[in-house]
Amino acid sequence: MKSDTAPYGAPTSAARAGRFWRNAARSKYLYAMSLPFVAWVFVFNYLPLWGWTMAFQNFRPGRGLFDQEWAGLTHFRMLLQDDMFYLVLRNTLAMSLMGLIAGFTVPIVFAVLLNEVRNIVFKRFVQTVSYLPHFVSWVVVAGLVTKMLSTQNGIVNDVLLWTGLIHEPVQFMAKGEWFWGIVTAADVWKETGWNTIIYLAAIAGIGPELYEAARVDGASRVRQIWHITLPGIRTTIIILLIMSIGHLISIGFEKQFLLGNNLVREYSQVLDLYALNYGLGMGRFSFGTAINMFNSLVSVILLLVANGLFKRFTNESIM
Amino acid sequence: MRNKKWIQPAVAVVLLTGLLAGCSGGNGGNDNAGNAASNGSANNGDTANNGGANSGEAGGDELEPITLTFYGSDSSPNWQKMQDAAGRAITAATGVTLDAEFAVGDSTQKIALIAASGEYPDLISPKGELSKLVDAGAMLDLTDLIEEHAPNIKKLFGDQMSRLRYSTDDPSIYVIPTYAEVGGGLLDAGGGFGLQHRVVKELGYPEIRTVEDFENAIRMYLEKHPVDENGNPNIGLTLDSDDWRTYITVTNPAFFTTGAPDDGEYHIDIDTLEVTYHFRRDVEKEYFRWLNHMNAEGLLDKESFVQKTDQYKAKIASGRVLGLIDQGWGYADGENALKTEGKMDYTYGHYPVTLREEFKETSFWPTGFSPGWGVGITTGAEDPVRAIQFLDFLASDEGQILDNWGVEGEQYVIEDGKRVVPQEVQEFAKNDPTGFQKESGIGFYHNMGGHYGDGVKDETDNYYTKNFPEQIVEGYTDAEKETLAAYDATVWKDLFPSEKEFPVRPWGAAWNITVPATSETNILAEKMKEITWKRVPEAILADPADFDRIWDAYMADLEKAGVERMEDGYEALVKERVELWSD
Repeated sequence: MKSDTAPYGAPTSAARAGRFWRNAARSKYLYAMSLPFVAWVFVFNYLPLWGWTMAFQNFRPGRGLFDQEWAGLTHFRMLLQDDMFYLVLRNTLAMSLMGLIAGFTVPIVFAVLLNEVRNIVFKRFVQTVSYLPHFVSWVVVAGLVTKMLSTQNGIVNDVLLWTGLIHEPVQFMAKGEWFWGIVTAADVWKETGWNTIIYLAAIAGIGPELYEAARVDGASRVRQIWHITLPGIRTTIIILLIMSIGHLISIGFEKQFLLGNNLVREYSQVLDLYALNYGLGMGRFSFGTAINMFNSLVSVILLLVANGLFKRFTNESIM
Repeated sequence: MRNKKWIQPAVAVVLLTGLLAGCSGGNGGNDNAGNAASNGSANNGDTANNGGANSGEAGGDELEPITLTFYGSDSSPNWQKMQDAAGRAITAATGVTLDAEFAVGDSTQKIALIAASGEYPDLISPKGELSKLVDAGAMLDLTDLIEEHAPNIKKLFGDQMSRLRYSTDDPSIYVIPTYAEVGGGLLDAGGGFGLQHRVVKELGYPEIRTVEDFENAIRMYLEKHPVDENGNPNIGLTLDSDDWRTYITVTNPAFFTTGAPDDGEYHIDIDTLEVTYHFRRDVEKEYFRWLNHMNAEGLLDKESFVQKTDQYKAKIASGRVLGLIDQGWGYADGENALKTEGKMDYTYGHYPVTLREEFKETSFWPTGFSPGWGVGITTGAEDPVRAIQFLDFLASDEGQILDNWGVEGEQYVIEDGKRVVPQEVQEFAKNDPTGFQKESGIGFYHNMGGHYGDGVKDETDNYYTKNFPEQIVEGYTDAEKETLAAYDATVWKDLFPSEKEFPVRPWGAAWNITVPATSETNILAEKMKEITWKRVPEAILADPADFDRIWDAYMADLEKAGVERMEDGYEALVKERVELWSD
């Protein structure tokens, strides 16, 4: 959500309006500085919403709004009646849920472990190495993954054969059921280091006196992690979690597109790919827009629900 | 307080920078424009001179240099921005410089984007996606432009002009057909089933006529040489099913080997015009059963359905792949790498393999003049007259010779009234095809202009294209010549059934019938593709005992998804095409 770009200090009641204006006058430079970004969000994120009108037309490019043929909810009906849609929705949600779980636990564990490393040089080194893959493009990563999982000279198969766990190379990329796992693993490999940074920053913000006090009380390392480090970064975790839930349905399609092949189609097709193939790719702009509108609505609902739940049970929220 | 002190200057600096950037940007733009203009006038003189010197007829009249934007649906990785021999000559003759963009991968989405954006290049080659642009009102009707400004195009297409029309409802001409050739025919086979020369050589050149022969050749060679010199296993047969390449190496061979012509994804009964999704022909099931058998025998590369095109090409370049089912252009990159290394025995010969002896290999089933794909002018073109004149030049004798032969005195010379390619040029082209193309530009403009086919002669009694029997043989490597001699043939085509053995199809070739973008037929076709691309590999990789079960399930899936409705929809289009062309 873009609400974080809104000026802070908005009044919650009329009585505080006066104070708000005084505040505003005092921080007029800050407001001025945020203006370009508000304009940016408006122009690039809100104006294009006008294009949603396409979803209710039989849109044909190159014509004005009033020359279009209006189609009501036809495209949504078509979408919801398509078996393929449910398949891609399943794949999308499965992969993003797996990604969400792995993408949260692994970086947090990694950050906590890294925080316990006392040798600063080693710590910095590990951290740098671990976030480097973030800058590698998915095209390259997909190439690496396919090569590593290949049956001919692929390192994974070679190692497994060498240890005697298997007797014949395994066709990793040909097994539909494994596709989700491979995508998730590749994602973890690529993004863990990067996602760790924010948790490390949060951990660094925890006062050292808390640890000292705990040590005086005789708390072990594990106890310190459990009672100080983790609660200390709880806010960060929850905010990131809520935002990720908002993005559950829009996981992009690069990974799936690049790693997929005909044998795993049933597991690799995702919503964005579906929108591309059946919408834009076929010149069905309206249908493509309908898919995207559906995406956005689901995302907003997911976000609000997640936010509401967390607000209720943990008193943490982003709105 | 301290904060405040630096904020003000900071904001000022930021704003100022922005302002300056804006100004200088504007200035830069102006400067460029000025430069372009002055360059332009300088060029003008040049081109006029060149034109006069080269042809003596173009003179200096109204050759204002102009840059036309172009989008092509085929990739052109070696494109030199017209700074190649042929390109410079074309610019000299027409004053046109192309600012060209070429597709990367599948162009479908790019065309859709162009249609939606409303920003059209001057010239566009949308291949099968023309309807999207026509629906968007992006294409210019060329009928009058051709009538007034394009004598060469008129001469080239002659009485075939009616075949250029878009549809019975809309008889406009939107594209100049640049893929279909006028007259002539394929002079050589460029694909089909391929075997490395070393394989047939070692086995004493056995007859390669059926899939069984093909299989046996691979098996026998593999038994003798299971690994290459580095100890890596040799691969019997590999396929490339990366996206649309599935058509070329996996599904199209099913009709080529079973006596049916290439009509895209359909089979059309020549008498009743009844359309069948070609996978539903019983005999094709047997072809896929053979592939299944190849897999069970371990002769089919396990990675056939997993690898990407670059891996496929890399494998071919390693020389370990004995057999291929592909078109030459599909694996040319890999094969060229082998040629550069001098591994001529590892390159491929082409064989007319069919499922059983009773079938004729149909690669050479003639299409007649079958336009459809081509280059059109968009409504975004500021100067359509110059654009059509450019296309007209490409369709002229001079333009076609530039594209096929290059520049006289550089890529060819005239000896006794015959166009001859000097020996050193021939060697260059053979040993470094990419470098040769980059320098000469030969082939860059082939699918931009209408052209005659192979074997057609111009007024000087020379062939338009370089592909005529004598020239083809000269282009062969020694390994190819050796293999061909052993099979008692001069060119690969001699091994295949010739055009004359097949009846002409009244619809030309169905793969270039344009299906309306948002029609149900089109949507169904996408669904069928989805099912086919999933089920066919599944069936091929299955245990042979399960093959029938999976195939039946596949057929049931197709029916459930509405394959019959798609066939009917397509049948209507085929009938419309036949009607459109019949007068």
